[in-house]
Amino acid sequence: MKFGLQVLATMILGYALAIFLPWWTVAIAAFLCGMIFNTRANFGAGFLGIALLWLLKAWLIDSTAAAPLSERVAAIMGLSKPLLFLVTALIGGLVGGFAAMTGAALNKPKRRGTYY
Amino acid sequence: MKVIKFSVSLLVTLGLIYFLNNSWTIGGKPIPPPGKFLDPFHGFWQNIESENNSATIDLTIEGLQAPVSVRFDSLMIPHIFAQNDADLYLAQGYVTAMHRLWQMEFQTHAAAGRISEILATDDILNYDRAQRRLGMVYGARRALQAMEEDPTTALMMAKYTEGINQYIQGLSYDELPFEYKLLDYKPEPWTALKCALLLKNMAQTLDMGDKDMEMTNALKLFGKETVDLLYPDQEGVGDPIVDNPGGWKFNPIRIDTVALAMPTELIKLKKLPGSDPTTGSNNWAVSGSKTATGSPMLCGDPHLRLSLPSIWYAIQLNAPGVNSMGVSLPGSPAIIIGFNDSIAWSVTNAQRDLVDWFKITFDGENREKYLLDGKWIPTEKVVEEIKVRGNPTFYDTVRYTYWGPITYDESFRAENNHNGYAFRWIAHEKSNEALTFHKLNRAKNHSDYMEALNVFYLPAQNFVFASVSGDIAMRIQGRFPVRRPEEGKFVLDGSQSSFGWQAFIPNEQNVMSKNPARGFVSSANQMPVDPTYPYYYTATSYEAYRNRRINQVLSQTQAIQVNDLMKLQNDNYNLKAAESLPAFLHMLDSVHLKGAELTAYSILKSWDYYNNAESEGASYYEAWWDSLMPLIWDELEKEGMALSRPTTYNTIKLIKEKPDLSFFDIQGTPEKETAGDVVRKAFSVAIEGIEKWKQENAATVKWADYKDSFIGHLLPPMRALSIPVKTGGNHDIVNAHSRTHGPSWRMVVSLEKTGVRSWATYPGGQSGNPGSKHYADMLDRWSSGKYFPMVFMKDPEAAKERTLQSLQFNPQQK
Repeated sequence: MKFGLQVLATMILGYALAIFLPWWTVAIAAFLCGMIFNTRANFGAGFLGIALLWLLKAWLIDSTAAAPLSERVAAIMGLSKPLLFLVTALIGGLVGGFAAMTGAALNKPKRRGTYY
Repeated sequence: MKVIKFSVSLLVTLGLIYFLNNSWTIGGKPIPPPGKFLDPFHGFWQNIESENNSATIDLTIEGLQAPVSVRFDSLMIPHIFAQNDADLYLAQGYVTAMHRLWQMEFQTHAAAGRISEILATDDILNYDRAQRRLGMVYGARRALQAMEEDPTTALMMAKYTEGINQYIQGLSYDELPFEYKLLDYKPEPWTALKCALLLKNMAQTLDMGDKDMEMTNALKLFGKETVDLLYPDQEGVGDPIVDNPGGWKFNPIRIDTVALAMPTELIKLKKLPGSDPTTGSNNWAVSGSKTATGSPMLCGDPHLRLSLPSIWYAIQLNAPGVNSMGVSLPGSPAIIIGFNDSIAWSVTNAQRDLVDWFKITFDGENREKYLLDGKWIPTEKVVEEIKVRGNPTFYDTVRYTYWGPITYDESFRAENNHNGYAFRWIAHEKSNEALTFHKLNRAKNHSDYMEALNVFYLPAQNFVFASVSGDIAMRIQGRFPVRRPEEGKFVLDGSQSSFGWQAFIPNEQNVMSKNPARGFVSSANQMPVDPTYPYYYTATSYEAYRNRRINQVLSQTQAIQVNDLMKLQNDNYNLKAAESLPAFLHMLDSVHLKGAELTAYSILKSWDYYNNAESEGASYYEAWWDSLMPLIWDELEKEGMALSRPTTYNTIKLIKEKPDLSFFDIQGTPEKETAGDVVRKAFSVAIEGIEKWKQENAATVKWADYKDSFIGHLLPPMRALSIPVKTGGNHDIVNAHSRTHGPSWRMVVSLEKTGVRSWATYPGGQSGNPGSKHYADMLDRWSSGKYFPMVFMKDPEAAKERTLQSLQFNPQQK
């Protein structure tokens, strides 16, 4: 439940920051959410939050595309188109995951002995 | 414990962000910053335009005097309505940058030899060095000086530049053109010098053809008689562009004819590629006496290396005193080829030799001074600073002489050759072509056209003209040096200034024609004029086939309609094949052919000489021809030595008329071959190649598949951004689409009294963005020989139903 909320909050905050600020501010969103929620799986929540946000945004853009630029980019990078979506999500996710972990480390520990 | 955990994960996060925010070279390949590039909120995903792109935008623009309305039609062609010329050019700059910013900057970087700043490889560094050594920036600076001395063009350049910079200033990362994101760099401010560089870039494409060194080597190796046989000044084929025997009634300039000494040297250096001989163009105008409507019609299709973003940007420019439509070169103001309410014009390349190489005599090893008219003159050293991305700056010293830059010397492309060769090029002259286009856009009649051309120096072009009032005309315009016989064919002695250009042909003595009796004017890069023209001229080559086909069709057709001219622009008749194939087939021993060779023989025997997309005969013929040329001219492939092949036309002539010529002997074999032997051998090689192609591709070898054309992106390695096309035609055919080159714009204009109408298309689209549907939306019709009717708007409210986007530019409130 709380995990789901953290993912959702990361997505919303990440989206709000992305409108005005550079790409790496997704890290700030995940960081803040990690600090506030500090669930048992912060890395997972940060990862999923940003990965889903990026995947969704990329998919939305591509669904109304008038030209096959995503195919062209995939070809330049030697990937298939589905793989390009996955790589996009993965890169956003990694930043989100580590940022969430960092934020959570600032919060007081919920349970001793649990890593996250 | 917690501190450690925090610090470690913070470091990992920051490290990751750093890595993902920068570009890297992995396995020798540059990759864009992964995070920045793939972020769907700012990265390349933002360059994907949606299907629905109608919009109405209001912008406040600094430097504008009055409001400007821009309407984009369904092809995304802007129609600019301004209230004065200054605003018109500012808006043109802004709008062009909206669609083509990356291309404009990249092409001017390429002209200036600055690609290393973006992409660092050894090949690119050598390319940049060559551009510097050819004096591209030197030429552009002189052109800029001329532009700025004239108040009209000074304003044009300043306003156009201002418009581009207004657009650049407002750009955020997510709005950057795709290629900037891919290569991870940013646009720099535009300058008027870049406009000049762009025009020099076109001059390099069209006016840098020469074979002086090749001819010098041929002279030394084979002697004068053979040189005249292989590379005659005149091939005596077809009609010249202007045929007016005995009609040149003026006193030509005569210069004291110092007998030119024939050079006797072998030049061993790797010559830079000059203008591609397969670039060419067609244009013609038909008088009202030959058309169904009774109004003149004009056609133009310039052939260039086809690329994406497209070479041309279509546009309509409207302001008091001007209402013109056609194509512009992104990076240069005004319309280059097009029409207005009263006239239409187009260009083909004039081919004339406007390049000379001068051998420099140095005072010694350190090359501080060179000999000129008996005196030792110091060379002027220019240190070219080539910034190389991610690497130290490369410095190249280029020495300038009386003639121009010393392109080739001990440090550049010279193999074992310690001579210097200075480059004399017409594009190093001060000139102001922008004024020609400004005036042509506004021309009302033949005399306006003539006046506009008077300031046009380069690249020398055949300007075709037609007017609503009923005139048709052709003028070969450029700045042509008065040459002594044979001057310009060989490397010249640079130690005497009298060996250089002494005078230029006055404008009024250039080759021209108005309303000729045959009812049409035409040009297709053939020889310019009949032998009674009193000036000597040469070229690397003159075209021999397209021009004859065009003239044949135009002479035979009466009551011409627009469709007839569209058909002619897309005509695939292979005159070269019609003139050579029967002789080639005759040389085969048809009785003893079997298997694939017999099949090929019968396909060729029944071929109709049309290089249509579906034709198999065309594939066999072209394959045969392509294997024949290198077999015949194997003598001319000498390591490290520049030599050039005789023309197609002359090669076929020699096969037919001099079958025992020593060049037909293949060097690698002990036998002594004649023309017939080489033709037979080439046939076998070609059929073997086609059989291999069939195994790898398809059972039938259709010409479009075999030709395998593509429109390549300007970044050569980016095949993923290029688009394959299936078409007929080829070089030497009116529809001149070879694998890489072809009609970059096809335009048909009907100059009717009730209003000028036009149909056109080009192989690409208005947007330079590979994520836009306008990246290549004109390509399909271009490939299939169809056209778009051009929307020539009277005012911004006209043709509302065809308006896709509206843009309103407002001046800043004071």
